[in-house]
Amino acid sequence: MGSFIARRLISGAVLLVVITTLAFLLLYAGGGDIARKIMGDQATQEAVAQKARELGLNRPVLSQYSDWLRHAVQGDLGVSWFNGQQVTRAVTTRLSVTLSLVIGAITVAALLAILLGVTAALRRGWADRVIQVGAVIAQAIPNFLVALFLVLVFAINLKLFRATGYVQPATNIGRWINSITLPVAALCIGSTASVTQQIRGSVIDALRQDYVRTLRARGLSFRRTIFKHVLRNAGGPALAVLAVQFVGMLGGAVIIEQVFAIPGLGQISVLATQQGDIPLVMGLVLVMAVIVVIVNLAIDLIQGWLNPKVRLR
Amino acid sequence: MARHLKALAAAAAALSLMVAGCSGGDAGGGAAAETTLTLGSITQATTFAAKDMRWANESFYGQAVYDTLLIADPEGKVQPHVATEWTYDTAKTKLTLKIRTDIKFSDGEKLTADVVAQNLKRFRDGVSPNKNLLEELADAKAVDESTVELTLKQPDPGVIVGLSRNAGLIASPKSFGAADEKTKPVGSGPYVLDTEKTVPGTEYYFKKNPTYWKPEMRKYDNLVVKVFTDPTALLNAAKSGQVNGSNVIDRGTLKEYEASGYTLNKFELDWLGVILYDRGGSMTPAMKDVRVRRAINMAFDRASILTTYGQGFGTVTEQIFPPRSAAFDKSLDSTYKYDPAAAKALLAQAGFPNGFTLKMPTSPLMGTTLPPIIQQQLKDIGVTVEFTQSTDYIGDMLAPKYSAAWMQLQTDEDFALYKFQIGPVATWNPFKYADPKVTALGATMRAGSDADAAAAAKELNAYIVDQAWFVPWYRTQGVFVTDAKTQVKTQAGNAIPYLWNITPKA
Repeated sequence: MGSFIARRLISGAVLLVVITTLAFLLLYAGGGDIARKIMGDQATQEAVAQKARELGLNRPVLSQYSDWLRHAVQGDLGVSWFNGQQVTRAVTTRLSVTLSLVIGAITVAALLAILLGVTAALRRGWADRVIQVGAVIAQAIPNFLVALFLVLVFAINLKLFRATGYVQPATNIGRWINSITLPVAALCIGSTASVTQQIRGSVIDALRQDYVRTLRARGLSFRRTIFKHVLRNAGGPALAVLAVQFVGMLGGAVIIEQVFAIPGLGQISVLATQQGDIPLVMGLVLVMAVIVVIVNLAIDLIQGWLNPKVRLR
Repeated sequence: MARHLKALAAAAAALSLMVAGCSGGDAGGGAAAETTLTLGSITQATTFAAKDMRWANESFYGQAVYDTLLIADPEGKVQPHVATEWTYDTAKTKLTLKIRTDIKFSDGEKLTADVVAQNLKRFRDGVSPNKNLLEELADAKAVDESTVELTLKQPDPGVIVGLSRNAGLIASPKSFGAADEKTKPVGSGPYVLDTEKTVPGTEYYFKKNPTYWKPEMRKYDNLVVKVFTDPTALLNAAKSGQVNGSNVIDRGTLKEYEASGYTLNKFELDWLGVILYDRGGSMTPAMKDVRVRRAINMAFDRASILTTYGQGFGTVTEQIFPPRSAAFDKSLDSTYKYDPAAAKALLAQAGFPNGFTLKMPTSPLMGTTLPPIIQQQLKDIGVTVEFTQSTDYIGDMLAPKYSAAWMQLQTDEDFALYKFQIGPVATWNPFKYADPKVTALGATMRAGSDADAAAAAKELNAYIVDQAWFVPWYRTQGVFVTDAKTQVKTQAGNAIPYLWNITPKA
C-alpha cells in the first residue's frame, strides 16, 4: 500500500511539471504584447517598455519558466501582476471557498444519486422511467442555465436566498449555508444525473447476480442485501464516475462562481485569464492540478477498500 | 418508522437554517445608524501603491483611501483640495503649490510639503499607465513646510488636471517601499482599507478613517466595492438590492435595470471611428492625398452605424474634441455628409477612379457586426478592405502595421488630446506624421496663455477635420446606474463618477 501511494505521488509530481510547462508555454505563446495588455491602451510606448523590463518579459521563455519553477518549488508563486497580492495567498484563501462548493456539490450528488439510482433500480416501472428521463434532461441542461434559473426564481422572485456573494462559515453558519445552497444546487444537477444512471445500471446488474439470490434465500433482509452487499459492488464504477464528475465540477465552478460572484478560485481564474495575469494563472493551474492528482489518488484508495479484488499491491 | 422521522427532522432543521440566513439586501455595517455604500466595479484594484495607481474605472479605489492634491468638479474644472492655491510663473515652468498643514495620514504621519514632493517624484518614476501626466516634471521640492515647488522641463497644461487625478495621490512616507505597499494603502482619505475582510479581486471593504480632515465630503460611513466579472451577476445583484451603483458595460441589460427601479445616469467619454494613421502615405500611397481621406469620411453613414452597432448610445460627430472643450465647433459635425457617389468622384479626382486596396486589422474587440459594415461602406466608394485577424490589436496598430484601423479613444482635455492622439510624437500617431501647422498650434496649446491656447485648440480641431486625419463616427455613451436610494453627478472626462459625488437621495 505504502509503495503504491509513493509511486502515485511521484507520477503525480511528474504530471504537475508537465502541466505547468505546457501552461506556461501556452500563456507566453498566446501572442500579443503582454506588457501592453497590462498597461492598457492609454499608456505610452515608453511606459509599456519599462513595464516589460520590470517583469523580465524580454528574456527567453524557457529561462522565465525555469525561474518560475525554481521559486514555485520553494513555495513562492510570485505576485499577481494585476492586484499586487501574493499568488500563494490569493490561491489558498480562495481554495476553501471553491472546495466548500465542490465538496458540497459532490456530497449532495452522491447521496441523491444513491437514493435515486437505487429507487430506480428496485422499483422499476414508472418511478424508474421518471428518474431516467429526469436524468437525461438534467445532463442536457448547461449548469449556468440552471444557475440563472435558480437565481431568478429563488433569489430574486421568492427572495429566499442571496443572489450573489459568499458568507464565510466563521461569520454565520446559517448564512453560509444560505449563500452556497443555490450554487451547490446548480453545480450538482448534471453530476447527480450521471451518477444516478451509473448506480441504477450497476445495481440492476448486481441484483441479477447469483450471490444476491443466495443471500436472500438464506434469509438476509432486503435492506441489508442492498446496502451491505449490492452497493459495495455497484459502488466501484459509480466512484469512478464520481471522480470524473469532481474534476468536471472544478471547471463548472468557474462559471457558477462568476454567476454568483463568489470569491473562489473559479472567479479569479476568469479575471486572471482575461487580463493575462500570468503568475496568478500559473498558480491556479498548479493548484487545480494538485487537487486532481490528490482526488484521483483518494478515489483509487477508496476503490481498493470497497472492492478487495481491485486492491493494488 | 423512527428512522424516517429522524431523517425528516434533520431535513427540516437544515431547511430552516438555510432560510434563516435569508437574502434581501446586505446588512450594513455594525453600529446602529451606520450607512454603507456598495458599488459594483468592472475591474479590480490593480495596485494600491499610490505611485502606480490607475484611474478611470479604478478611480474610486484611490479616492477611498488617498487624497489628491486638487480635485475636479463634475464639469471638470479643477478646485483646491489639499493644495489650496497653485500659481505658475510667467514661463509656465515653475508651479508653486500651497499645501494645508492640518492633515495627518491614517498612521499618524503628518502630510507636509516634502511628503507631497516625494509622492510626485515617485509617481513620475512609477509604472502607472498615466505616469506621462508628470513626464515634464524635472524636480519637486519643499520650499517650506507648506509650499511645494514643481520645476517642469517645458510647460504642460496637463499637469494641473493630473494633480486632480492619480498623479496627485498622496501616500504616507512610512509606506514607501513597504513589502505590502500594493495591498495595504496608507493615506489621508475618507476611508481605510479593511485588509482582513477584503478579498483582492472580488470584494473590497473600507471603514471610516477617524482622522479624515474633511468629513463632510464623506457621504457614507462605510464603502464596499464588489468586482463583477459577469454582467449577469451584476444584474442579479442589482435586482436583489445588493448594489447601490455601478458602471454598466453590457448595454443589453440596461432596460432590466430600469425595470428594477434603477436610474440610468448617462455620460459621454470616448469617441470611436476609424483612424487614418498613414497621413503621409508611407504605407498606402493613396492616403497621402487629403481628397482620399475626405472621401473615406464621406463613405460612412454615421447615423445608421450608431443605431445598429452602437444601439443608439451616443452622439454622431465628425470631430474628436468633445462638446465641453473650447475647441468644439458644432458646425464641424456637418463637414462630411454621407454621400458615396460624391466620395467616388472625389477619389477619381485624386487619381483613383477604380479605388485602391486598404489593409486593416480586425480583433474580437470589434465584434462580428463591425468589420462587414466597414467593408461594405468602403466598397461602395471603390475602396477594397483586406482584413487581417490580429492577435495583438493595439500592438499592431502602434507598430505601425496598418495605414488605418478602427479604434475607440478617450476625449481627453485639449492638450492631453493633442499630446496623445494628434501631435508628432503622440502614441496614437504611430507613423509620427508631423505637420508644421499642427506642431505650431500644439506649441501654443502647451505654452500660451489660456485664451491663446483655447484659440489654438479651436484652430487645430478645425484643421484636422478639414485634413481628415480621423474618421470619427460618434461619441459613445457610458451608463452609471444608481438605485432608488442613491444619486450621482457624472464626472466629465472619467468613466465613473468621483466618489464624493455619489450621495444618498434625500
